[in-house]
Amino acid sequence: MNPSIEIQLIAAVTAAACAIPGVFLVLRKMALISDAISHSILPGIVIGFMITQDLASPWLILLAAVSGIITVVLVEMIQKTGLVKEDTAIGLVFPALFSIGVILIAQNANDVHLDVDAVLLGELAFAPFDRLYIGGTDAGPKALWVISTILVITVGLLLAFYKELKLSTFDIGLSSALGFSPVVLHYGLMSVASVTTVAAFDAVGAILVVALMITPAAAAYLLTTDLKKMLWLSLLFGVGSAIGGYWFAKWLDASISGSITTVLGILFFAIYLFAPSKGLIAILLRQNRQRKEVSLLTFLLHLNNHDSLEERHVSHLQEHINWRKVKAKSVLDLAEQNNMITIENQVVSLTKKGLEFTEKALEYIITNKDEKIEDMKDDFFLFRG
Amino acid sequence: MDITQYFTDYTLRTITLGTAVLGAICGMLGSFAVLRKQSLLGDAISHAALPGIAIAFLITGAKDSNVLLLGALVSGLVGTWWIRGITTKTHLKTDTALGLILSLFFGFGMLLLTYIQKQPNANQAGLDKYLFGQAATLVESDVMLMSVVTGVSLIVMLLFWKEFKLLLFDKNYAMTLGFNTKFIDGLISFFIVLAIVIGLQTVGVVLMSAMLLAPAAAARQWTNSLSVMVLLAAIFGMFSGVFGTAISASQPNLSTGPVIVLVAAVFVAVSFIFSPGRGILFKQLRLLRNRRELELQKTLYFMYTIVRKHDDISRPHAIKILNNFQGFTRNTLSQLEHKHWIEINGNQWSMTHSGFETASNLYNTNLPES
Repeated sequence: MNPSIEIQLIAAVTAAACAIPGVFLVLRKMALISDAISHSILPGIVIGFMITQDLASPWLILLAAVSGIITVVLVEMIQKTGLVKEDTAIGLVFPALFSIGVILIAQNANDVHLDVDAVLLGELAFAPFDRLYIGGTDAGPKALWVISTILVITVGLLLAFYKELKLSTFDIGLSSALGFSPVVLHYGLMSVASVTTVAAFDAVGAILVVALMITPAAAAYLLTTDLKKMLWLSLLFGVGSAIGGYWFAKWLDASISGSITTVLGILFFAIYLFAPSKGLIAILLRQNRQRKEVSLLTFLLHLNNHDSLEERHVSHLQEHINWRKVKAKSVLDLAEQNNMITIENQVVSLTKKGLEFTEKALEYIITNKDEKIEDMKDDFFLFRG
Repeated sequence: MDITQYFTDYTLRTITLGTAVLGAICGMLGSFAVLRKQSLLGDAISHAALPGIAIAFLITGAKDSNVLLLGALVSGLVGTWWIRGITTKTHLKTDTALGLILSLFFGFGMLLLTYIQKQPNANQAGLDKYLFGQAATLVESDVMLMSVVTGVSLIVMLLFWKEFKLLLFDKNYAMTLGFNTKFIDGLISFFIVLAIVIGLQTVGVVLMSAMLLAPAAAARQWTNSLSVMVLLAAIFGMFSGVFGTAISASQPNLSTGPVIVLVAAVFVAVSFIFSPGRGILFKQLRLLRNRRELELQKTLYFMYTIVRKHDDISRPHAIKILNNFQGFTRNTLSQLEHKHWIEINGNQWSMTHSGFETASNLYNTNLPES
């Protein structure tokens, strides 16, 4: 295999391995734990190196994963004292652990070939140089083997505990009532996230791990609320951005991790703007429509309440309902287009349709009973949901 | 290094002054961040500032630190603004929004930095000091800038003190009173971002968040008053800066930023344990005392159930009959005597009037006759 394909493979497998725990982290509102872990594994790595004097030793990964789990335990301990909120607990624990790591590195700077930059930022381009030899034959880059193993284990655990995970994510009370220990699941998930972070940061750097965990899941969450679909979509987004990011980096001749993150960012931004029902544009349009419909209803109810010609004069309406001219005009137009009012000599009157509509709406407002507006639901957003 | 050198060394004095001012402003503004449950905003914003630094460098081609800080400020504000957009407009939660902005902006910043590195005229050495911070590069003009920013934010804080306070504790009430909550909200966020940006070159991206919230979290344990908390947080932050710098100067190869953060962490740990009102230690002690009190009352009440069956309450009973009662020990017995609730005479105890009175008032309910 040539290095280019190997790098893409490593990036894609890493993205897939991160996307799965990422979905659950986002759903459980623990997204920032991945950020905390990715920083606080530093002392574990440094201590592991000081013991083994070997950067490739599996002990490093193990100790790093342990310090990831220590982070989670510490955060929980601090949170249990009730002295600070959870986010403050996270924010206190990981910088302290990271500081210890940085100091340890600086103290042993002469004999440790460990660079804080490298830990945080990672460099995918170098990953293929570190190869695994089995009995003298080249079996491919080591990072690919490590991360693939983790992906397989993650998928295995996901398939085995899918139901339990789903239940405990969405209804923790029910799941513990049914006998699934939320604590075991929580720490299981945290361990997977921790191990994945450790393995992935070795190849791609700490910040990209956070991006790969959170972004695909967040983007998928804007498109669907179905857990299975969300998992598939985030896998797709993660792997797609990993490969797209590689080519983007090649074109720019810049950091691969950085450009994968950038592609993820562009993807998220696009979905954030254009997602069909939960995107920013859809939401703004919906809010605008809602506002208009409320105005229309207010206007119609006002007409319904006042019979005198004077009250129904166009110019009077503007000051009476306290609308600006533009808004009054647009509501007036909307009502006229819907055949709810007629305007003669600047005097507005309700049509039969308008009258019916208003009365129904009034009835609904007074009784607040859903069946009163069943047949209006199709026409008016206001009465849906 | 001896103590006189500490005060005469120009670099060290500048750094100490700089970290002290930084600690003070971070503690002050961090209090608002913590109380607004935005503790991790500092983490997100300090990462989000990176692309701004890179873009400012790309546009001006200069390494003037004020220009770079301006870039950092702009991109930090864009990050804050987008975090708010995500949390208010979509169903994504705050933690997801923070994580998104943090990683995406930082990754983009890295992309730009590596891109700059490959430019022919690149002299980007020094840009990466914003990642990990180098207190050693602080010069007098930096300290001046920090002091000015601290002064301005102090003035603004005092001017809008009532509004800030109201917004922190009851946003809806502030709104009904007609305050422009959006403006006040934006003002707080602006100054928090400003503090973060100022601190970047001293302690770096990763440790900035700790500078912002550790002094505030420590101060919170000692008081329930906002003004005292802000003051304490500023003092804790200042001392973290001073002690951290001193410790890191006392030994070679000890980076200043991480040491400052660890000192701040020690403040937090001490506050968590030893603060009289909320601290773990005193809470445990109170718990223990309450439990002991309860044991004592249980024993007294048990005696009371025996005594009230007799006409004469001070009639002596054998101590032996108490032995089957849980929680009864020699110690509780002498404590009961000490409180003059009972009198002990050889192997017998008898209840006093005050003991009887106390016991009959213990449970002010109609307990069934046992």
